[in-house]
Amino acid sequence: MNELREIAGKLLADGDVRVIIGWEHARRGARPVFITQPDEADKLIFDRRCVHNLATYLNPRRDQVSELGKIGLVIKGCDAKAVAGLLREAQMDRTDVVLIGVKCGGVLEENELPEALALTPDNVAPRCYGCDNREPTLVDFLVGESQPEPPRPIMTIDERVAALEGQPLEERWAFWTEQFSKCVRCYACRQVCPLCVCERCVVDKTQPQWIEASSHPRGNFSWNVTRAIHLAGRCVDCGECERFCPVGIPLTLVNRKLQHIVGERFGYKVSDDPESPAPIGDYRLDDQQEFIK
Amino acid sequence: MSDAPDTHGATAARYFIDESGLRALTAELLAAGTEVVAPVATDVCQSPSAIASSACLLPGVAPVDIDYKLLGDAAELDLSRGLPQLSLKQFFLPEHEALCRWHQRGIVTTIEEVPTSFAPRLVLAAKPCDAAALAVVDQVMNWDYQDELWNGRREATTVFNLACPVIDDSCFCTAVASAPDDTKGADGLLTPVEGGYLVEATTDKGRAFVEGHKARFTSVDGAPAAESRERQAADERAAARVRVAANLEIDPASVRDWIDTHFEDPLLATLAVRCNGCGACTSVCPTCHCFDIVDEEEGVGHGTRRRCWDTCQASTFTLHASGHNPRDDQHVRYRQRINHKYSIYPLKFGEVLCTGCGRCTRVCHAGQDIVEILAAIDVAARHPEPVDSGAEAVKP
Repeated sequence: MNELREIAGKLLADGDVRVIIGWEHARRGARPVFITQPDEADKLIFDRRCVHNLATYLNPRRDQVSELGKIGLVIKGCDAKAVAGLLREAQMDRTDVVLIGVKCGGVLEENELPEALALTPDNVAPRCYGCDNREPTLVDFLVGESQPEPPRPIMTIDERVAALEGQPLEERWAFWTEQFSKCVRCYACRQVCPLCVCERCVVDKTQPQWIEASSHPRGNFSWNVTRAIHLAGRCVDCGECERFCPVGIPLTLVNRKLQHIVGERFGYKVSDDPESPAPIGDYRLDDQQEFIK
Repeated sequence: MSDAPDTHGATAARYFIDESGLRALTAELLAAGTEVVAPVATDVCQSPSAIASSACLLPGVAPVDIDYKLLGDAAELDLSRGLPQLSLKQFFLPEHEALCRWHQRGIVTTIEEVPTSFAPRLVLAAKPCDAAALAVVDQVMNWDYQDELWNGRREATTVFNLACPVIDDSCFCTAVASAPDDTKGADGLLTPVEGGYLVEATTDKGRAFVEGHKARFTSVDGAPAAESRERQAADERAAARVRVAANLEIDPASVRDWIDTHFEDPLLATLAVRCNGCGACTSVCPTCHCFDIVDEEEGVGHGTRRRCWDTCQASTFTLHASGHNPRDDQHVRYRQRINHKYSIYPLKFGEVLCTGCGRCTRVCHAGQDIVEILAAIDVAARHPEPVDSGAEAVKP
């Protein structure tokens, strides 16, 4: 933690960055913090409650953040994949941000806790299981000690996807009908997503209106399916969409299923290497195209 | 207004009902075709969602979602007093509703109106903060036009609250002129006592409801257990008020006036740096009532005009056709939310557009904390000089 605070304080004091975005401890637990003065760097923490993917604040369309000036961002390995996504899609230049990576042994499912509990199968964020990037490489600094692997959750995301896939079509339809019927169309999933960076989201377009704004089943299916497909091969599995959903729709299951499909069809796995092209921005002669009739 | 919870009890008609009586009454209402809205606890593991819920594998843990729902069966009524995910507003201002339907044939367009009167409905075990919000929103729904759909549902609905034990440290109803045993916006209040509930009917509608189902209620006056039940209810309610008051204490009038005169103050103008602008706070808010109107074509020449919940936290909320956006960044949009709730609305209608349910804070995983923000504004309004500067000076 001292290492993190020292680096952050020095970056601010030297004028290398104008704001450090990291985590702090607040009334209800850990939350994002924006530090502009070197002597405030002591507010920074990193522990198992630091769940948030802060790369979402790099979206150049977040005026309230971009107006602060050059950002120094504290990132976990999973967050680094989102930064790579922004670089891959030319949303920013690598020199626009200073990245302070933290070595991570997994995080809790919830950040709103008075203290960082030890990880157990029932409180660990399920996405941490099998993480391949616990020590990010897309960084300018890497701080902390190497951490042990996080525990296996009682049911992994892959197992949940498999359980759903094992059901007959009617059961799956009942599942998603129930889930999407809860959607109130607040678009928290989109707003918090580090890769939802469109100038104008398709759901906000009114001439023509592609997706109905009403939260009836037709509108909710259109919105949720569109959101998922627009993230196919781009989603970094940070789980923020699901965590911010005020009605608890398990969006991670859709995202993971799409990752499987993209992996199988295009041999692509999301990483924190911005040079590795994602299928959406890459063309290969051997791309599967049998669906084009 | 703020002292209402202390005084209404004295004038209200008072009864007792035991729990089986309450369920029998609910069953009777449902059988007679009255719609009953009440908290329902859904055992996630008994629903289709269980297929992919890892929580259902945990021994001894039954994950439960509490929501206000139209009851299908009296047994669904949940009296655990947990907080429903969404507020009661969806039963008065639905997430989406048809305003009219149109049919176009050649140059002739016909409009099909929607009904604005509704079947009688009872809301049972409402959270006092959710019911109070109805009375607050009544004002704007009857300001420059009469909202027939809102008013129609309000008229058709009788609301009985269930006294709240206080959910957690993000509750602050007493700071905004409400209380965990408030009856504002409601027609009566149930308070749990030994063996059942003390029932107070506080409006004509509430009294008429009890009169209409007299057989299920026992009059409290003169009953042998009356005094101890009354005392138990009073103690329970007083304790809840003390608990919630400890979470936040502000002077709403000072907050209102300070916001009104400090539009550009950095405290107000830079509140939202961590805010994602997601609008989850406005969706779960019992008093946020803004809506958008959209035309949905449902085929060639016919469609439905609907209104849907909208949020001031989205940039499209104020985007002009010209491309200009007067609220062009999240700081400004968030300030609007605070300003509208704690200053604009109180100045216009004499009531805070917030009943302290705390849902906005609980759904915000980015850590926008209304309790913290109101406390900071209250300090700025009432103690503009740093209060601990003296203490700093005398440090050894």
